[in-house]
Amino acid sequence: MPKVLVVAETKNGELKKPTLELLSLAKSMNLQAESVLIGKEVSSQADLLAGYGSGKVYVADDAGLEIYNTSKYTTLVADAVGQSGATQVWLTSSETGRDLTPRVAARMGVGALSDVTELEIDGDNITATRPCMATKLVQQCRFTKDGLRVISIRAGAYEAEEASPQTADTVSLSIPEGDARVEVRDIQVEESNEIELNEASIVVSVGRGTGGTEGCDFVKPLAGEMGAAFGASRAVCDAGWMPHKHQVGQTGTVVSPDFYFAFGISGAIQHLAGMSGSKVIVAINKDAEAPIFKVADYGIVGDLFKAVPVFQEEVAKIKN
Amino acid sequence: MEIIVPIRQVPDVALNIRVNEGKVVEDGVSFVISSWDETAIEGALQMTEELGGEVTLLGIGPERVSEALRKGLAMGAHKAIHVLYEEGQTDSFGYAKIMAKVMEGRNYDLILTGKQAQDTDAGLTASMLAEFLDLPQVTNIIRFSDLAVDGMTLYRKGDHGTEVIGIKLPAVVTVNDSLNEPRLASMRGIMMAKKKPMETLSPSDLGMGAEELGLQGSMTEVLKFEKPESRKEGERFEGDETETVPMAIQKLVSEAKLAV
Repeated sequence: MPKVLVVAETKNGELKKPTLELLSLAKSMNLQAESVLIGKEVSSQADLLAGYGSGKVYVADDAGLEIYNTSKYTTLVADAVGQSGATQVWLTSSETGRDLTPRVAARMGVGALSDVTELEIDGDNITATRPCMATKLVQQCRFTKDGLRVISIRAGAYEAEEASPQTADTVSLSIPEGDARVEVRDIQVEESNEIELNEASIVVSVGRGTGGTEGCDFVKPLAGEMGAAFGASRAVCDAGWMPHKHQVGQTGTVVSPDFYFAFGISGAIQHLAGMSGSKVIVAINKDAEAPIFKVADYGIVGDLFKAVPVFQEEVAKIKN
Repeated sequence: MEIIVPIRQVPDVALNIRVNEGKVVEDGVSFVISSWDETAIEGALQMTEELGGEVTLLGIGPERVSEALRKGLAMGAHKAIHVLYEEGQTDSFGYAKIMAKVMEGRNYDLILTGKQAQDTDAGLTASMLAEFLDLPQVTNIIRFSDLAVDGMTLYRKGDHGTEVIGIKLPAVVTVNDSLNEPRLASMRGIMMAKKKPMETLSPSDLGMGAEELGLQGSMTEVLKFEKPESRKEGERFEGDETETVPMAIQKLVSEAKLAV
């Protein structure tokens, strides 16, 4: 019998939506699922994992796990795999998942398929579809040897159902020492209480066309008014106009919201690769030749500094 | 400081990529160094410029990979290792095993490479290599500081902010392209690259047999490639923003069901 171990992720002590998507997917496929929950002050989330269909929840709750740590997390996931007898490990393709997926796979002596957008499962025979070549192509892959299947799945590839917490059957994992050669010292959090880019149903992003920090700040309130996450192109982040955590693209966060609004973004290939999975793309750019228009469902050729106030007025009208 | 930079030669994804019967058409494709690996070369050059030592490039693949290695040498890398490898389809696990073999018996302080390759976009090989070599890893760095021969401080772009990590060498580190802007090779660099040492090895030189190569040495395989349905340009709005924006928003609400 296949059994899936979902590696849960949290932010500020709460489960992140992509984790709930994975458990919902396991449930929709009638797969037996368990989960591993790692972090600081995260134990309270075990019940919600159970509500989403996780059988046992393997918990590692420790102050030393507040910031992601490759060595400790790998040891913990490997421990949970061993105890659960899981035949598959599912992770999200977050920055944590991207770092952890190959390390866990190699620790278990197996391969991995990463950043999967479509999964077909017949027992432990898995066919996965994933984008490649800067999303210019997709590839269909499969595992060729027996053994554990380690897979990371892109946020938003599947929907999360609604579920209520249930009393969880928890197992405490022992906390590993970690690799003495690595000292995870600190995390520089630039801003908080913002909507996560890869969880938002609307993303408002800014590009070089904003001309600087002031231009970015000019667009930002619109994101708030629309209940959108605020993104930026690489050019904006590299110039220091916005912190790197806002970066949308293959180097940054890959997003697939329902609506993506690109203000003053020309559309470099790695940016397009990071947002072309959006359901609806709206581009606002002065340059009628900008590549972003080629992928935009609605393209407004115009000055963003004139367009943004009109957007704000119209959004206010819709809200009323 | 001795640094090895595994690089991957990939089709230039800025150009058209064609697929025929589930396979990527190589004919007429222009091959380049994967962009994140160029960032890694630049990072390694900056480190050795500060601390001394050499940058070695490692490329695995057919004859054409030597062109990518020459280009990296022209940027300023000191020497290159080319594993002449004609086994065709090989996954990240398989490549990481080959790299681990190359590195056995050679002492590098740092293995620095791109966070993923632009062809597969998988981002698996470096961490698998780190595990096989029992080395610590830090992926997706956007900055480094406190550079010393035995360690440094790395700034990793994580999910919730920038993680500040002190690491003792040797280690495996992967770079985000925000780390730097790779230099262009100068004319002098291109001339000098022709004389720089390039060691060519075969898998059998590494003591690897058929069962460790190609699909046999892999854990996964690609069944086929497909072109996703490409997005088509939709409607354009040109003119005064006070007219175009309300018109576009009206359509967004009525056609695309935008709700705020």
